[in-house]
Amino acid sequence: MWKSKRPRRSDFSTLSLRLWDFTGMALLNLFVWLAALIYLSPLTYMFITSVKTSEQLSDSSAPILPARPVMYEYEGRARYVYYVPTESGTRQLALIDSDRNGAFFIDPQDPEAGLIRWEGSWRTLRRVYSPHWEFGNFVTLWERIEYPRLLRNTLILVFLGEVGVLASSIAVAYGFSRFRIPGGKYLFLLLIATIMIPDSITLVPTFFIYANLLDWLRSFTSTSAIYYIPLLLPHFFGSAIYIFLLRQNFKAIPRDLDEAAMIDGASPLRILVSIILPQAVPTVVTVGLLHFFNAWNEMRMASLFLGVSQERTIGFSAQAFQSYGFTPEFLQASALMLMIIPILVLFLAQRFFMQDMVVTGIEK
Amino acid sequence: MKFSVTARSGTNEASAPVKRLALSRHSARIGFLFILPWVIGFVLLKAIPILAALVFSFTSFNMLHPENIRFVGLQNYLNILHDRDAGSSLFGSVGYFVLAVPIEMIAALGLAALFSSDWLRGKRLLRTLFFMPSIIPAIAIYFIISGLVNPGSGWINRLIIEPLDLPPPAGLYMLFPVIFALWSIGPGFLIMLAAMQAIPREIYEAARVDGAGPLMRFVSITIPMISPAIFFSLVINMISSFGGVALLDRGLPYSQSLSPMESYISYQMFSFLNLGYASALAWVMFLVVMGITVAIFRSARYWVHFPEEDENVEI
Repeated sequence: MWKSKRPRRSDFSTLSLRLWDFTGMALLNLFVWLAALIYLSPLTYMFITSVKTSEQLSDSSAPILPARPVMYEYEGRARYVYYVPTESGTRQLALIDSDRNGAFFIDPQDPEAGLIRWEGSWRTLRRVYSPHWEFGNFVTLWERIEYPRLLRNTLILVFLGEVGVLASSIAVAYGFSRFRIPGGKYLFLLLIATIMIPDSITLVPTFFIYANLLDWLRSFTSTSAIYYIPLLLPHFFGSAIYIFLLRQNFKAIPRDLDEAAMIDGASPLRILVSIILPQAVPTVVTVGLLHFFNAWNEMRMASLFLGVSQERTIGFSAQAFQSYGFTPEFLQASALMLMIIPILVLFLAQRFFMQDMVVTGIEK
Repeated sequence: MKFSVTARSGTNEASAPVKRLALSRHSARIGFLFILPWVIGFVLLKAIPILAALVFSFTSFNMLHPENIRFVGLQNYLNILHDRDAGSSLFGSVGYFVLAVPIEMIAALGLAALFSSDWLRGKRLLRTLFFMPSIIPAIAIYFIISGLVNPGSGWINRLIIEPLDLPPPAGLYMLFPVIFALWSIGPGFLIMLAAMQAIPREIYEAARVDGAGPLMRFVSITIPMISPAIFFSLVINMISSFGGVALLDRGLPYSQSLSPMESYISYQMFSFLNLGYASALAWVMFLVVMGITVAIFRSARYWVHFPEEDENVEI
């Protein structure tokens, strides 16, 4: 530990040095954890709002945390309970009736005492709330947006794309890292260059090509599955950035083993599957995760081609949620339902992800 | 392992140059077979569309009247010069780049510096927490921020404006690009953190013995040592700020891209079906992006310290 190597000044005792270190450590941790809290506060807002009732959201004097108004049943009707200032301090009373000059309350603790007359405008009074988490919002939303169907569509799309992008990117990265291809260096530079080309450049012709392709396909079939083709097809040709990541990793794997296998008569495909891939698991998982997140969030192709389709992805149909007239709690609940699966995947796989970013970082 | 090494050296010495050549020709063919998917994809999805976009940009191609297509020379490009919306959207795109990229870079660098301290506890959880927002879909962020700034139930009003009795803020919409940028630091942060952890500790020890303070050590050791990682994440952030997709895509549709130029291109394309003009706009944007890319790569030799990569040169 470097702490012990720090040159000690004579006027500091060991104890005060330790105290100094402890303060620094506490301040640093406090700062970073506080920063994380602020950094994620919009997410806290989202979660807290998603479990509120719309009643609480429309009351501007309601507490910040999820709660619902305390009710008292009187003569078969539920009545709101208010904080009412009286001579004997503030009391929690249920509003029964009101007129121009004041209102009649009843004490829920002591209903036998009868109605209590209070002078003043009851609308300025604050309602009494008790903590309540309204998880029913999610149930309502689940049915209203047909969540299972959206989830199924999205997962099918993500999974098929995953298979395509992993198979093709691994093959291409293997080709670039282990074979002497004439002009391979220039091809690889070309591959890197394609990362830099903005999507807008290819947008016009790509849309034109797919629109014609879909028109042509529509003459054979009426299934809406064809609208997934533009979202899936590009993945089967490999993705430049994933090829780059995988190739950097494959190059770092020593060649001894695969050369030995080659001499023993193993085919190149066999070498890839049995020797290279087992050593590249973290990178392959990282690439798989990157594709998962990207495909889950994909909106560009979806917004171009899924507009006419009934089978939409979750991200694409979320666009329309605001026009459904969702109140804040449903909007925030839908945001949570939109991102919960990628976040769960991130937390489950974070070990792989972080581990490989290290490799990527060193390799540049 | 020993066995494999002997076996290899044995064959290498025994094989005549002729045999080796045959092997390499054979291996070139197999290698090409492996990269074939990318080559096909490059031709079909990149090269042909790029060339087509170039051709379109010199024509009056409109989807409403595809039969009226004719060659108009540089007319589309000259029109851009007179199109005030094109100018302001290009300006907006460059503005977003200038706003977002420094925020992303500085926040990621600062966070990585804090994380390389031995004193920090719960690093694994914190790392995931700081990375998490980078994978949230754009549409979810849009819902969240609109909720936050909502005058009735939003926290900005409930927790900050009302308790402090501040006047209602005007430029709250500026929060969108800022939060998008701050929430996109994930990949850059991880790359820089990994690079920082790879710096040998002895260098810091030596500097400390020579009397360098923490700030001095950060500026003269950390920054130069991780400059390749800074360069890499600068390029990634630059690409994504102009609407390209680098490592993580939040999924903004073209029409709502944070880069105004991109949404203007899609507006010209889908509202007016002006494919010729939209292509010309895309080329102008491409030239701007390429200009910035070339400038970044040119500047690299002054500030990026690449380690000798003898292995990476050979493919």
